[in-house]
Amino acid sequence: MASELRIEGLRAGYGGVQVLYDVDMHVRAGETVALLGTNGNGKSTVIKCVTGQLVPTAGRITAVIDGTEHDLVGLRAEEVVGLGIALVPEGRRLFPKLTVEENLHLGAFREAARPKLQQGLEFCFEVFPRLAERRKQLAGSMSGGEQQMLAIARALMTQPKMLIVDEPSVGLAPILVSKTIETIGELKKRLGLTVLMAEQNFQQAVRIADRGYVLVHGKIEMHAENAEELRNNQMVRKLYLGID
Amino acid sequence: MYVTWDLMANAIVAGILLGGFYAAVAVGVTIAFGMLDIVNIAHPAVMMIGAFLAYLALNTFGIDPMITMVILAGVGLAIGPFLYRGYHALIEKRGDESLQGLAFFFGILFIVEIGLVMTFGVDYRALELSYLSKTFELGAVSIPARMLIPFVVAMIMCGLCYAYLFYTFTGRTILAVAQDVEAVRLIGADPQRSKSVAFSIAIATGLVAGVLLILIQPVEPSIGREFIGRAFAVCVLGGIASITGTVTAAMILGVAETLTASLIGPSWSPAISFGLLLLTLAFRPSGIFGR
Ligand SMILES: Nc1ncnc2c1ncn2[C@@H]1O[C@H](COP(=O)(O)OP(=O)(O)OP(=O)(O)O)[C@@H](O)[C@H]1O
Ligand SMILES: [Mg+2]
Repeated sequence: MASELRIEGLRAGYGGVQVLYDVDMHVRAGETVALLGTNGNGKSTVIKCVTGQLVPTAGRITAVIDGTEHDLVGLRAEEVVGLGIALVPEGRRLFPKLTVEENLHLGAFREAARPKLQQGLEFCFEVFPRLAERRKQLAGSMSGGEQQMLAIARALMTQPKMLIVDEPSVGLAPILVSKTIETIGELKKRLGLTVLMAEQNFQQAVRIADRGYVLVHGKIEMHAENAEELRNNQMVRKLYLGID
Repeated sequence: MYVTWDLMANAIVAGILLGGFYAAVAVGVTIAFGMLDIVNIAHPAVMMIGAFLAYLALNTFGIDPMITMVILAGVGLAIGPFLYRGYHALIEKRGDESLQGLAFFFGILFIVEIGLVMTFGVDYRALELSYLSKTFELGAVSIPARMLIPFVVAMIMCGLCYAYLFYTFTGRTILAVAQDVEAVRLIGADPQRSKSVAFSIAIATGLVAGVLLILIQPVEPSIGREFIGRAFAVCVLGGIASITGTVTAAMILGVAETLTASLIGPSWSPAISFGLLLLTLAFRPSGIFGR
């Protein structure tokens, strides 16, 4: 069923330093929305507010999960995950001294995911055969690409309705970036997810994005209703493609 | 001195049995210190409370220590969350955990000891039970019941801890919380609850280990201190956060001590624990089973 996310007038910052200025965003059911912006413009800050890791100073964040509306402001991170909103965080945040399999098992902690543990594992191993090969390996000893796969897989183990991914391309070789983005696009289709993805890599992100927002210095400077519009926009051309 | 195979075999079996008891003492330290970074040097005080409650239960109410230990395990699990909440509010929440935590638990150790001295005096107390003085002969090796029973209980207890940590959802979050608290939230679990459960398990194992101690030997209130060093040595030797490592290291320590006692002399055995600890830290800082 339909799951969507709405952010209205969001302001947030760190210890008195304001980072976000009245951010408005909308991720409709079944969409993949890209949140674009270069380093330090506030993408992760938006995501932290949505996922309960940072309390906004103003604004509303609401999610509709399976037809029920939830106010996300004030919820703790674990409560947001409990609703069915999974996060693949910046820096992946795996448990380095646990094995691939143990990391995946942990992903299935939430009540709704527990009975589907086995199914979830099979699904993850099918999507990422590399993880099946490495199931007994410690997460911390895997390559960057493998760790990114595991981070995505662990998020899927929570049986989410909505997937939020913070810069999946960071630290990956170009070929892996392209593969990771494709995988996210594929997963979205297969699982019927609603996806919000923060990315700096514009060229890759627009390949799977239905729509996009560009964040500059904590403000949404533009949003595009489709990938074509995003590609052709003047500011995007200037910021990302170096074309004036 | 004349060393026979019988003497050696007896020393090794006695060492393994003793090691089992050490594992019971150390498993709580492995969970609290190894997994939660809580330097609970008051763990022996918890043991002494368990030991004296077993004494009281038998001599006042006629309750067998085997029943007492099951009750105490339940009590430990039930009051553990409150103790953890207290520790969290006073120490953990403020950061600076190690040093202030150390002082905090040292204080608790003293208070408990003084409390026990005022209640029970400084005399040694033992449990008078006929089944404890039985001995089983296995060829030339004799196995005293007062060592065998604690060994069996210890192995069951460590097995339960292992199964809980590796095969239940909350148990697994305890392994995870030691590595990344925020990431635990991202899988939908409350890290405070994981820590609280783990701390409670540590308390419960401490109480049971105390009952085991008074089965093995007479106790007086400050005797628990003898085990602080050993428990932390076993924990480090075993690889900080590993239950299987803890059990193995405890056996190694037990055997090393009994062999030293029968080959060189009993007064040398404590030196062995710390010798092993230093060697481990020098050559394999992550412990035998460290990941
Ligand atoms: N924990 C923090 N404490 C203080 N300031 C922070 C913190 N995290 C981020 N900031 C600041 O907030 C601003 C936005 O950071 P944010 O991490 O949201 O950017 P980003 O768009 O995700 O960048 P990147 O692409 O590098 O991940 C930056 O100026 C950053 O320095
Ligand atoms: Mg970021």
